[in-house]
Amino acid sequence: MDLVELRRHDYALDEISQEVLVAFGDFFRDQCPSSLVRESQPVGFSQELWDRLVEMGTTTMGLPESVGGDGAGMVELALVAEEFGRAIAPVPYIEHVVTSRALARANNPALAQIIAAAADGSRILALASAPVMPGAKQLIPAGAIARDVLAMVGDALVLYSVDTPPAHVPNQGSTPLAWWDLFSMPNRTVVATGEDALAIYTRAHDERMVLTASALVGLTEYALGLTVEFTKTRETMGVLISTLQGVAFPLTDIATNIAGARNIARKAAWFLDFDPETRPELPAIALVYAAQTATQGTQQAAHLQGGLGFTVENDISMYFLRSKGWGSLAGDPTAHLAAIGKHVLSSVN
Amino acid sequence: MDFGFVELSADDRLLQQEIREFLAELFTPDVFALEHETGSGFNAKVYEALGARGWLYPTLPVEQGGAGFTALQNRIMELELDRQDARVMMMKGTSSLPMAAIRKYMPAEIADPILKECAAGRAVVCLGYSEPDGGSDIANAKVRAVQDGEMWAINGSKMWTTGAHISTYTFLITRTDPEAPKHKGITMFLVPLHSEGVTIQAIRTFSGERTNIVFYEDVQVHDSMRIGGINNGWTVLHGPLDEEHSIGLDSNGGLTDVSVGVGFSRVLGASINEVAQWALKTTSADGKSMAEDTRVLERLGSAMVDYEAGISTPGPMGRVKASDGLVKQAAQLQDLVGPVGLLPMNAEGGIGVGDIEYAHRFAQGTATYGGTVEVFRTIIAQHVLGLPKAQLPGAKVFIAGKKK
Repeated sequence: MDLVELRRHDYALDEISQEVLVAFGDFFRDQCPSSLVRESQPVGFSQELWDRLVEMGTTTMGLPESVGGDGAGMVELALVAEEFGRAIAPVPYIEHVVTSRALARANNPALAQIIAAAADGSRILALASAPVMPGAKQLIPAGAIARDVLAMVGDALVLYSVDTPPAHVPNQGSTPLAWWDLFSMPNRTVVATGEDALAIYTRAHDERMVLTASALVGLTEYALGLTVEFTKTRETMGVLISTLQGVAFPLTDIATNIAGARNIARKAAWFLDFDPETRPELPAIALVYAAQTATQGTQQAAHLQGGLGFTVENDISMYFLRSKGWGSLAGDPTAHLAAIGKHVLSSVN
Repeated sequence: MDFGFVELSADDRLLQQEIREFLAELFTPDVFALEHETGSGFNAKVYEALGARGWLYPTLPVEQGGAGFTALQNRIMELELDRQDARVMMMKGTSSLPMAAIRKYMPAEIADPILKECAAGRAVVCLGYSEPDGGSDIANAKVRAVQDGEMWAINGSKMWTTGAHISTYTFLITRTDPEAPKHKGITMFLVPLHSEGVTIQAIRTFSGERTNIVFYEDVQVHDSMRIGGINNGWTVLHGPLDEEHSIGLDSNGGLTDVSVGVGFSRVLGASINEVAQWALKTTSADGKSMAEDTRVLERLGSAMVDYEAGISTPGPMGRVKASDGLVKQAAQLQDLVGPVGLLPMNAEGGIGVGDIEYAHRFAQGTATYGGTVEVFRTIIAQHVLGLPKAQLPGAKVFIAGKKK
């Protein structure tokens, strides 16, 4: 790789992006207090919040104008994801947005009705992580609330639809996971085939990695804030614990990781919008780094509150449990590392 | 947000080409060999050749010895220099900090000729900050300066004065009022290093970089070489120190690296490239290409994540991240390639140009110089997280007797 390319490294947000960030920051703060997150457990879905999110235009903003969307790019969607993560909001924002964008990208008239229903939020969509195989049931993120799941079958991209989603499976992250036996599901629509199919699926998978990375950034930042406030009021042996380096330094490392993870995720989003060919490994880098940041960050943030950070009553527990519960939905980080390594090899070849 | 290639005007494209060709010719093998041998972070031939064109500090106006470069032209120059070798250019960066203070605080008739010599590559200024019995707590300086009429007598010693042996001046922190709170009793001087009473001794580090201990024995310095007011040294220092600790915070349309530690990450990047090339042409015992070995792919992927984190983490946080990432990954990449990773540049059967071997040694210094990562974590704790300051016995006290 070229270490000294004459590229810009401009992370400054334009006015529209800043407005998106503020608007969704306000929205989630007002509409999604931690009490709502608790009430929505164990399924991890609030229909009421989802309806309000739809009213905000969240389900249309990322769709192209040709299907009645607002044509927002990944940069804006990633900013929304940060705020969504900060609130650990019980709504299938990431799954729904990347899957509906994938359907729109297929440009297939047979999908018009489903896209319209996805746009108005009445039908929730999800994306399978693995290709469909006989006898292999899959845990589908948002699978307990989605009516349609998009998956690769051989070299075809297929949408599987049901009238009633399968039953929720309780899980560590309190997300709406459910087992889908896609292979034996009769109601299917071929979305695309051949190269198109793989390109659309890969893109959707990349988008999910980037949005998950951004969500984990917001999630970890909120958890850090909880613990920073705790350490500013908690004393030991006559001093505030935040003045101790054994407490302060781990907190600075979390902040450092968050700042980097945020920039990488936003940069990966920019590359998907404007230069998707050049850095195909960036979405995976964004996800791996954000997942590390979230796993370590929420663990440390909970731990630095001592026993109190280990209690269910403390909101930080919900953040800790979701760091894995969200982070592992987009694939094993170590598997992504090998893929990143392959790109490194091709960049020097 | 913008991460696109910078579009160059026809003139800038020509300039980029001219710079690239000029540097390719200037950075001959003997430049690298000399740096490898001396570890001085400096090369007289290179500095003077750049200086003669106004390209050493090219953003300075032509009449001050620069080339009046725009921010973009300066970025082109910096990247092309990095393409050659960042190590040789270290003292350029070091000098630029005191140059800012000289320009700001010394009268023009004194400052201008000195700055011109610096711009011409004939003068270098090193940092006389740390002392033998204290590291990053530079406000605790004990080197004494005592005034006698127009002259000052300087006594004491400074440690880690990198570049002292090739520098013309040192930007020296002295104690002028031992009774005052420590930040209020220091004064800055620009001390000519050829002065009588200055003794410079080499300190070798295992990165190969040379630094120095400098002894000052009754060194006589004229009052005109004082920078800023008496006992006002902390203010004078702060400008350049802030610059050292926060380079890159101003995004400048994306023409500045956001991470203070980007230089450390580039050393990691060079190692990644070297390991990747090694993997592509190396076969394991069972006849499989290393490029298909999952262990290799995962390790390269992991190093790449830390490389990206090092260049993407903003400001002082980037300095900590880039250093930590380099320390961790340099060791892992060396493990990955095995014993050949221990062979230095030009060794028989060594890998590439020895970047892997070098990175592991170089990495260790990055956690210390310019302020240790712990100093930076303290800065981040206070300025990013807003955590209260620890009340330590030696901490900054502006009003004597004031307690929290």
